[in-house]
Amino acid sequence: MEALAISLVNAVPLLAGVPLWTVTLLLMVAVAAVILVFALTFEGVGSLVLRKVAGDIQARIGPNRVGPNGMLQFLADGVKLVLKEDIIPANADRLLFKLAPYFVFVGSFAAFVVVPFGVGLIAADLNIGIYYVMAVTSLVVIGVLLAGWASNNKWALLGGMRAAAQIVSYEIPVGMALIPAVLIAGSLSLQDIVRSQGGLLGIFGWNLFHNPFTFFSFFLYFTAAQAETNQTPFDLPEAESELVSGYNVEYSGIRFGLFFLAEFGDMFIVAALATACFLGGWNVPFFHVGTLPWIWGNLLSLGVFLTKAFAMVLIMMWVRWTLPRLRVDQLMRMSWKYLVPLTFVNLLGVSLWLLVFRGKGIPGMIASLFG
Amino acid sequence: MGLKAYLNDIVEAVVTTAKGMRITARYGVDPKEEVTLQYPEERWEIPKGYRGFLHNDIKTCTACNMCVKVCPIDCISLESVRGADKKMVLCSYDINIGRCMYCGLCVEVCPVNSLLHTSGYEMASVALGELILHFIAAEDAPEIKARVARQVAEAAVKAAAQAAAKAAEVPSSGTAEAAKVAEAAKAEAAKAPVVEPKAAMEEAPQAPVSEPTVAKEGEKKE
Repeated sequence: MEALAISLVNAVPLLAGVPLWTVTLLLMVAVAAVILVFALTFEGVGSLVLRKVAGDIQARIGPNRVGPNGMLQFLADGVKLVLKEDIIPANADRLLFKLAPYFVFVGSFAAFVVVPFGVGLIAADLNIGIYYVMAVTSLVVIGVLLAGWASNNKWALLGGMRAAAQIVSYEIPVGMALIPAVLIAGSLSLQDIVRSQGGLLGIFGWNLFHNPFTFFSFFLYFTAAQAETNQTPFDLPEAESELVSGYNVEYSGIRFGLFFLAEFGDMFIVAALATACFLGGWNVPFFHVGTLPWIWGNLLSLGVFLTKAFAMVLIMMWVRWTLPRLRVDQLMRMSWKYLVPLTFVNLLGVSLWLLVFRGKGIPGMIASLFG
Repeated sequence: MGLKAYLNDIVEAVVTTAKGMRITARYGVDPKEEVTLQYPEERWEIPKGYRGFLHNDIKTCTACNMCVKVCPIDCISLESVRGADKKMVLCSYDINIGRCMYCGLCVEVCPVNSLLHTSGYEMASVALGELILHFIAAEDAPEIKARVARQVAEAAVKAAAQAAAKAAEVPSSGTAEAAKVAEAAKAEAAKAPVVEPKAAMEEAPQAPVSEPTVAKEGEKKE
């Protein structure tokens, strides 16, 4: 960010008198605003698409009243959420009750910082990118648990407890399934991971096709991440049929809106991480984006990245409307007896593969056969 | 659990998930699968023999009271007076459609097929009273009663006159008796305007017969 500020000061002579830290700070705020707007737009449109997909899959029509073909439904929903009365139950723990939505929202939104949207489009290319995402999304657990506890409602408490158990359990397979990508790139930075999948191999340069273990790793990650973000086959914390609405049952208005937004934000983060770590990120197949002029290269890579990420989001929705909800014991069994051992085996496999074949994947070896 | 069962579980999970996803994808892609009927704009065709709202054709209705008797929840009420030709004349016919359960017994029992189900099924009101269907306007009831009473009285006077004429034609049997008969007819004619409120409805607060009592009750309540 500071490098960007320096180049901006050099480019615009008017800024020469302004102290560097001011420019940097302003730039940070601007970038944060851009990402926030992107996140909110995604969440709005995402909720509409989710409902439309649900309608299609369930042989219904879905929202079609607000605007042409229901396109503006998300605006109506948003206005409704903002205008609703903000109710705090009389017996709730007021401070914690108010605090919980911020934890959840911040936990989900802070992960957008390291999402590599394009060649140069990343808010902060942290050298501990994946680690940072794993750490910061854990904040959601605290928020959900707080919400469940502070509501002073049995359903909310049960939902919060389930969420805590679930998110903590599934964090392990998620982390373990992402490590193969880190091993191949030799870096925790998401930009480095994306760059390691570029080159002339096209889509076969992706980590997905690197070797059989990474291929399985992708699906393990996708399953575990869906569970970690409480997507529907694993949405026990808010299971409507048992817990009414789970941890957010006592929330209304904009506070509920924050939970809602965080859920969609998590969805995008999962899709973005899957794209960056396994599906080549912003790499355009058979083409080196870095050679283009800055603006075109970024736009092209942004388009490629978003296309892949949105495709992943669509698949998540598809899964969401297909599978029935698991039971609590099934959920725990799936994590501890299936996903955790499998991801460990995978990790071991990838490590051995990299050791034996000196870091080369199957497509790479085939390519080197033909020179 | 052995290793074989463990691996079988995994394979089964993957296979069944794929199967389910294929089904939902087919529904998601095929636009013809939609079953939604967008109600106010689109409507389903009403089947034959549909039991919708009740309608009574008061011109054919004979006020036989059968529907009132057969109705299991007493939602039909009617009031009638005996006309000059000894037939019953309707002066009010109300159906509380908010209470009706559309069993169709009244339609089955109606001897002249004046009471029928229509195909209507949409009705909304802000007050319960608005759900009562009046087939004869409440304010028409006293008028009808008065008219019928007048007709009856006229008929009675005519009958008395005829009887008197007959009595006069037969002088041998004594005039005193004939005069008595004529007097009795006149008395009957005078009595006639007082209607017989036998089939009076319990529900119709507009019933003109009990007007004074209703007014008194109203005062008490206030």
